Amino acid sequence: MPRSIWNGTISFGLAHVPIKLYSATESKTVSFHEVHMSDGARIEHRRICSKEGKEVPYKEVVKGFEVSEDEYVVLEKDEVKVAAGARGKVIELEDFVPEDQIDAVFFDKTYYVGCRDDGEAYRVFREALKQAKRVGIGRFTFHDREYLAAVRPLDGVLALHTMRFHDEVVDAGELDVSIPRKGPSKQEAKMAEQLVDSLHSRFDPKKYKDTYREAVLDLIDRKAKGKKIERVEPEPLEETSDLLDALQASLKGRS
Amino acid sequence: MPRALWNGSLSFGLVNVPVQLASAARDLDLHIRQLHKKDGAPIEQHRYCSQDDSEVDWAEIGHGYDLGDDKQVVLSDEELASVQPEKTRTIDVEAFVDLEDVDPIYIDHPWFLVPAGDSQGTRRAYRLLVEVMESTERAALGRFVMRTKEYLVLVRPRDGLLSLTTLLFHDEVRPTDEIAPGGRKPAKEKIEQAGAVIESLAVDWDPERYTDCYRERLMRVIDQKKKGKRVKAPAEPKEPKPAPDLMAALEATLERMGSGDGKGDGRRRRSRPRAKASS
Repeated sequence: MPRSIWNGTISFGLAHVPIKLYSATESKTVSFHEVHMSDGARIEHRRICSKEGKEVPYKEVVKGFEVSEDEYVVLEKDEVKVAAGARGKVIELEDFVPEDQIDAVFFDKTYYVGCRDDGEAYRVFREALKQAKRVGIGRFTFHDREYLAAVRPLDGVLALHTMRFHDEVVDAGELDVSIPRKGPSKQEAKMAEQLVDSLHSRFDPKKYKDTYREAVLDLIDRKAKGKKIERVEPEPLEETSDLLDALQASLKGRS
Repeated sequence: MPRALWNGSLSFGLVNVPVQLASAARDLDLHIRQLHKKDGAPIEQHRYCSQDDSEVDWAEIGHGYDLGDDKQVVLSDEELASVQPEKTRTIDVEAFVDLEDVDPIYIDHPWFLVPAGDSQGTRRAYRLLVEVMESTERAALGRFVMRTKEYLVLVRPRDGLLSLTTLLFHDEVRPTDEIAPGGRKPAKEKIEQAGAVIESLAVDWDPERYTDCYRERLMRVIDQKKKGKRVKAPAEPKEPKPAPDLMAALEATLERMGSGDGKGDGRRRRSRPRAKASS
């Protein structure tokens, strides 16, 4: 049984569902620690006072916020807690929205939601949510920080996603990219569509393995055996000069 | 235009489009810093060698990997960059998939892919990709390496540009089979009653309905402190206990909400799921 990271209650209306939260994801990236190359010793991160240039023990550290240049307001621990709000351990779902209306840019981190009692309310809630094809939206306080959260049925259980706020999402218009006004020719569009069709497949995440991770482990192995590691520069890809030609050649290559 | 975090090319068949990556999310968090209590000066993190006790410059730092038994392998930036270098330059489109098949649990981070350089040819090819994915309603699946990590990526049109979503690999998503799924299949009436409560709280997704109250409250605390006031934390509220009778709780909720038109403040509209999202 995985260890839960949070215990609380999901509320909708006057109904309360006692729940536990679990991490749903984990990074499998090969992790390294920082090493001083000349002697192979570990690197330590030390807290240095920017004024004295001396190391500061943890008990002399306070939290602060820069209100104007070089002017800080010190915040006590319980003052930071005020910002967390008064929701405590309750995720109150205020709205239920159609699940296909939320664009992918809003989703941040995912947790699994398990039940904490006999599970009656949990099961009722999950079934009803599934039938309604809706996602519950509410607020969730975790480690003195409040998040917007979406709760949805997933794989026989419930998942909770923390969500970005609308002002945290960058719109295309803000990037100032100039795209030619004239669209592709009919022939170009048609060939590109054929190419898309020929590469169409159903998304099956199991089909894709992180081969880079294995290659890094292989590199570590070679280095451990004392082999010389050389970096081979790949040939830079040439920018397509004739779009129609490139599309034609791509289609030929696939038939 | 924000700083590009990655430069390379998007390759689709034999069509190569030079592109740059720009984040599609901005960090609006109020960053709390560590200060030295005595003099109020900000604290900086410096790197020191644990053996010779001297400060170490970035350029002298390598990547250590533990082999056990106090043995380690150290790789330089250069050596680490020798791994699959072509993947650090090219996003190779392997397949086109339907967006609704990709569960949000795989989503890592949103980006924009924008055309790099001034070439008209690049921009024409870029526009063709946007249009073909709009007309076929499909998203391109590819992979690339950024900052020594490989990502599966989904490229799709968003408001006339190409957006790129980094995805987690399948083995980075934990299985659900050890999560407690609740009791027996509940009675139909209970599910229907809960469904009625959900319907009474149904609205269309409108991200602007939700503002970051945490950010607002923290700003208020900072303002108060600036004026020399001490701010006290409220007591944590009691967690509500589940009602002994779920059915009664659901009924009471529906009664309180009236006939399903919400709290009478006029802001709640009923909405129905749409077949397809517009963006």
